[in-house]
Amino acid sequence: MKTRLIAFAGFASLLMAGTAYSEPVNITFWHMEQPPHRVQRMQELLDEFNKAHPDIMVKQEPQSWGEVYAKAPAAFAAGTGPDLLFGIPDFTTVIKGIDAVVPVDDLAKEMESKHGFVPATIAPYQYDGHTWAIPAYNMAISMWYRNSEFKAAGIEVPKTWSEWKAAAEKLSVDGKYGVGLPANKQLYTDQTVYALMVNSGAQDIYNEDGSISFDKPETVSAFETYGALQKLSPPDSTSWTWGEAEACFASATCGTILQFSVINTYETQAEADPADLGVAPVPHADDMTESGTISYSNAIMLTTKDEAKQAAAKTFLAWLLEPANYGRFLTMEPGLFLPVTNDGAEAESFWSDPVVTKYKSQVETMIANSKNGKLFGFTTGKVFPSIGAISGQNVIAESLQKMVVDGDSAADAVKYGQQKMSEIAGK
Amino acid sequence: MRTGIAMSNPRLAFLFVAPALAFLAAVLGWPLVQAIILSFQNVGVIGTAGSWVGFDNHVSVLGGLGFWNAFGRSAIWVVGNAAVQTALALGVALILNQKFPGVRIARTWIILTWIVPTVVVVIIWRWLLSTSGGMVNPLLIQAGVIDRPVGFFATREGSMASLIMINSWRWFPFTALMMLAGLTRIPSDLYEAARIDGASAIKRFTRITWPLLQPTLLVLGIVGTLLSFNVFDVIWLLTAGGPSQATQTLPVLIYETAFKGYRLSEAATVSVLTSLLLMGFALLATRAMTASEDAR
Amino acid sequence: MKRTWPQSIALFGGLGLLAAVIGLPFWWVASGSIKVPREIISRVPTMVPHSFTLQHFEKLLQSTDFPGYLLNSMVVALFSTAFTIALALPAAYAFFRMEFPGRAALYRVILLAYAFPSVVVLIPIYGLFARLGLIDTRIGLVIVNIAFALPFSIWMMRSFLASVPREIEEAAVIDGAPPRVILLRILTPLIAPGIASVSIFTFIASWTEYLFASVLIVSDAKRTIPVGFAGIIGQYQIDWGLLLAGATAATIPVVILFAFVGRWFVSGLTEGAVK
Repeated sequence: MKTRLIAFAGFASLLMAGTAYSEPVNITFWHMEQPPHRVQRMQELLDEFNKAHPDIMVKQEPQSWGEVYAKAPAAFAAGTGPDLLFGIPDFTTVIKGIDAVVPVDDLAKEMESKHGFVPATIAPYQYDGHTWAIPAYNMAISMWYRNSEFKAAGIEVPKTWSEWKAAAEKLSVDGKYGVGLPANKQLYTDQTVYALMVNSGAQDIYNEDGSISFDKPETVSAFETYGALQKLSPPDSTSWTWGEAEACFASATCGTILQFSVINTYETQAEADPADLGVAPVPHADDMTESGTISYSNAIMLTTKDEAKQAAAKTFLAWLLEPANYGRFLTMEPGLFLPVTNDGAEAESFWSDPVVTKYKSQVETMIANSKNGKLFGFTTGKVFPSIGAISGQNVIAESLQKMVVDGDSAADAVKYGQQKMSEIAGK
Repeated sequence: MRTGIAMSNPRLAFLFVAPALAFLAAVLGWPLVQAIILSFQNVGVIGTAGSWVGFDNHVSVLGGLGFWNAFGRSAIWVVGNAAVQTALALGVALILNQKFPGVRIARTWIILTWIVPTVVVVIIWRWLLSTSGGMVNPLLIQAGVIDRPVGFFATREGSMASLIMINSWRWFPFTALMMLAGLTRIPSDLYEAARIDGASAIKRFTRITWPLLQPTLLVLGIVGTLLSFNVFDVIWLLTAGGPSQATQTLPVLIYETAFKGYRLSEAATVSVLTSLLLMGFALLATRAMTASEDAR
Repeated sequence: MKRTWPQSIALFGGLGLLAAVIGLPFWWVASGSIKVPREIISRVPTMVPHSFTLQHFEKLLQSTDFPGYLLNSMVVALFSTAFTIALALPAAYAFFRMEFPGRAALYRVILLAYAFPSVVVLIPIYGLFARLGLIDTRIGLVIVNIAFALPFSIWMMRSFLASVPREIEEAAVIDGAPPRVILLRILTPLIAPGIASVSIFTFIASWTEYLFASVLIVSDAKRTIPVGFAGIIGQYQIDWGLLLAGATAATIPVVILFAFVGRWFVSGLTEGAVK
């Protein structure tokens, strides 16, 4: 009898263990890193995590940046949204606006003490008394060039705007373009224009009270310089996104471009010497002393109200930021995604990547640049909901087109931007 | 008119029509009602609640410049597409209506541009028109048309024209085949008679082909107008309505307002007003169409 | 009839131009897909590839589920087509031949389906489908495709029916055949070419549909070709070689399909009904 009882208890516990095993907590994770090799690397990491955590099952569903702005709110409204969602600061304000995101204050604090966040990467997610997402990787714009071309033309790496202009003019010979700056109504143009605005002291587009402070002499001077450089860019740059700029640089048609990274394209498409690839901070206005740039801290939002799922998702995020795993996560696009944590910046798993090893000095410069990164709408410690629409409608790029395409003066173009932003903020 | 064989059995008729109608009502009609309801509210981001605001949206949309400017651009877009496509398609249809070796192959494969997904069409042209690896600029330079690379989307007019050309490239073969169908219905004895009377080729075209093609052109005009008015993906993926709103047609405005500006109700209002305009056009046009069909 | 020399020159000149306008872009894409990356983005493009590589296709097949996307597109397009025809044929017949109250008004209402931007119904449809559990299903896409193809199909079929000689139908009516039999046994075979071209129209419309597929489908396993292709475009970086390979791979299946059924599309449009 007794043995039978024990056997029964043993069987029951086996059964229970079995059910616990067969029903792990399912986590659905949406990210926008859709290029196939990134998805592949992510899956390798997920497989590893799921194996080590039999009670949790994380599943990725890559989305595209193009549709996610419509798809995610619709999905949350219909109750079919993900449990974890990738985002950039302006997208987070939108998701926060529909009450779909859960603050991650505790986890952020824990990660901060464990790994130490680069301040510029977590700041855009801390407002209204909470931390709204856990930073995942950072991206910052730098200026890219070829050492051999600069040498042949006898130019030093430009540090100021006038030096840059002079260099671009010198490089514009026999069908080549000294610089490649976009003027499309698109996020890339927002980014490159803002990269110049940061360098003339026009980084704040909001006043303390939420009114717009776009129209000021610093912005106008950034627009003027941008316009002058844009004239030296290829004629199709009014329809460029990131890819065209990279292709222009990789084919040695463009002398200098502003880009997050060209390493991958340079490595796979240009067939050139790694040592020839030059990267430097974005030049600053002549009356400034230090260079800044635009940086995008990408972060992961927790978007489930279910407590078991929240706990499981946090376990996953903590695992991802462990230095041993984190480097492999960053190198899903080697030489593009930069670490957001202090120990991540030293992680063996990051620096041992073959491409990162090959372009070590360039990556180090990129990381250094990223520390001076700012993002429009997230510079004053106060965040206003209208930034989502200002960013979504690419108002900065649209204002630039007023100047580049319609021939308005820089002052008028900036005035147009001020008016359009105020209109959006007023709604 | 058709009393000879027309059947008067309403119950059976409804049985025939009901599945299709029910389907359309559920998948298109019901969402449309939702859009109308939204236009009387002030919903911002999708999924948030709004309150009733009566005709406020309609008044502000009709009173603002955005809607009317986009409407004007839509008109240019539709007329431009119609002109380019009709001209190309008519020429092609006249060619394909001839007899020559390989005519069947030509008639089949002309449609190639239409069976390719729009996303692919967009990527093809983005690459071909670019200055890094694009073929079009070097080709034009070789032909002596231009002496240095040009930007096809560098000016307002250029952008609209380039988009119209790309959209027409995708659609003109389809239009051509529809016209060819119309041409083949013109009895060949009419041409024979005209030839015997000694009418010139131009006269044969203006007196026979053109007038007898009218019903086909009318139908194509209506359907084509509605279809090209609603073209969204080509414009959005290539220019997103830029440069400085030069290509922001009404569908682009609706998408941008709803999903980039987070003003869902305003977008719904623009949609409803757009639909009213289009319906007015379609009602008038279909009346003309059914009239010409019944007259046969 | 004989053509004069100038007429021949105009005819074949026009044909040559047409072939260039349609064929050249495809040639550039297909030949580009086998060039090495450096040649693809070269400042001086090459008409004929100077290099040969299959690396882009290898990458496409290795790292994406392109065959899966193809299969999904095929399944969705086939089912959309079958159901559209099944719904459109009786409706077109009723609108053409039967008398019932509101016939003219309903016919017009159906055609009005094209009178509003499809962007408008995107969000309500998402909400509706979420309630019915149709998000991220191929059935959902089939339903949307049918709805958008139906009005045009009904209208085309009605005009094909109109081209059937009246006497054939009259004979059947006199023999006392019920409408179902007249439609299925007598008229359907007669307008077979027309049905073929409507089918092909629906198939292509479903095959190329992007907007709804991109929003209603969530998981990679259920993506169709246009959405799968859009997925490899990528933010921040573009791999032109991969894109050209993807464009080529997305085109080839329909080209093969069209090699078999293409002539039916044209003959259906031009003939409508067997006379």
